[in-house]
Amino acid sequence: MFHSLDHLLGSAYFTLFALASLLCGGGLLLSKHPINGAIYLIGVMLSLSGIYALLGSPFLGVIQVLVYAGAIMMLVVFVIMVLNQARDHRVPRFDGFSIVGAIFPIALAAMVVKTLAFADASTIDPAAVRGEIAPVAATMFDLTPAGPGYYLLFELIGVLLLVAVVAAVMLAKRHLDSPAAPAAPAEGDHAQH
Amino acid sequence: MHSIDPFHVQLLSALLFGLGLVVVLTRRNIFLVLMGVEVMLNAVNLSFVGFSQQLPGAQSLWGQLTPLFTIAIAAAEACVGLAMVICITRGKDTVDSDQFAEMKE
Repeated sequence: MFHSLDHLLGSAYFTLFALASLLCGGGLLLSKHPINGAIYLIGVMLSLSGIYALLGSPFLGVIQVLVYAGAIMMLVVFVIMVLNQARDHRVPRFDGFSIVGAIFPIALAAMVVKTLAFADASTIDPAAVRGEIAPVAATMFDLTPAGPGYYLLFELIGVLLLVAVVAAVMLAKRHLDSPAAPAAPAEGDHAQH
Repeated sequence: MHSIDPFHVQLLSALLFGLGLVVVLTRRNIFLVLMGVEVMLNAVNLSFVGFSQQLPGAQSLWGQLTPLFTIAIAAAEACVGLAMVICITRGKDTVDSDQFAEMKE
């Protein structure tokens, strides 16, 4: 009896999170101001993190909340607020091309769903590992030669993030040859005298 | 314990990917275009997690590790993308993507 109750609750939670993510996605599509769209996007990410936890990847759900809904969306909201002078209310939400542009994604999703519906019925493996911190860390930092070698990717991601930070600073600076702080050249002049 | 039909997970993933692509193709505000890309990335992550649960034993972790790298790449993408938005918005004072058409001529 408890098993069937668990079954029912899992399906109910999944339906709830799926509907929430789809509704927030629709809100993102129809939002007037980008700040509203950012809030709806955070709703999509939070409901997806709930689905990850239901599917047996709790660590991924936590990372989704921390990095995606926390760090990345904070950056997006910050830049939207910095550029608020750029009067985005003049931008129309949709134009004539939008109707044509909406056809192709709908056709793509319909084709994917049709392919999945006619594929062999798949089931979730009961022996699948629940992705908690210990097994995830043991797989990612498996240093044996026969291992999957994810630690190399981990190091490369670190280099990539460093390069992205440097590129972002270079792009967002007003002039490439301007000093980092106004006081810096005065000190240089003083040292030359 | 597992009561979720994998087909429903993939269905949700396909619907979210289509929704994100609609946002990218139809909205003209440049921030909404970037957010549509984020929705598409999230949909693919969900597809990874859904398929990984169908693999046996230790292999089921591999599909759960790939979204971790995807999230890190998405962080780098958002960082550089928003810097580019600041860079091109400075000259034009608009966030309408139709105004950035200098490469056409």
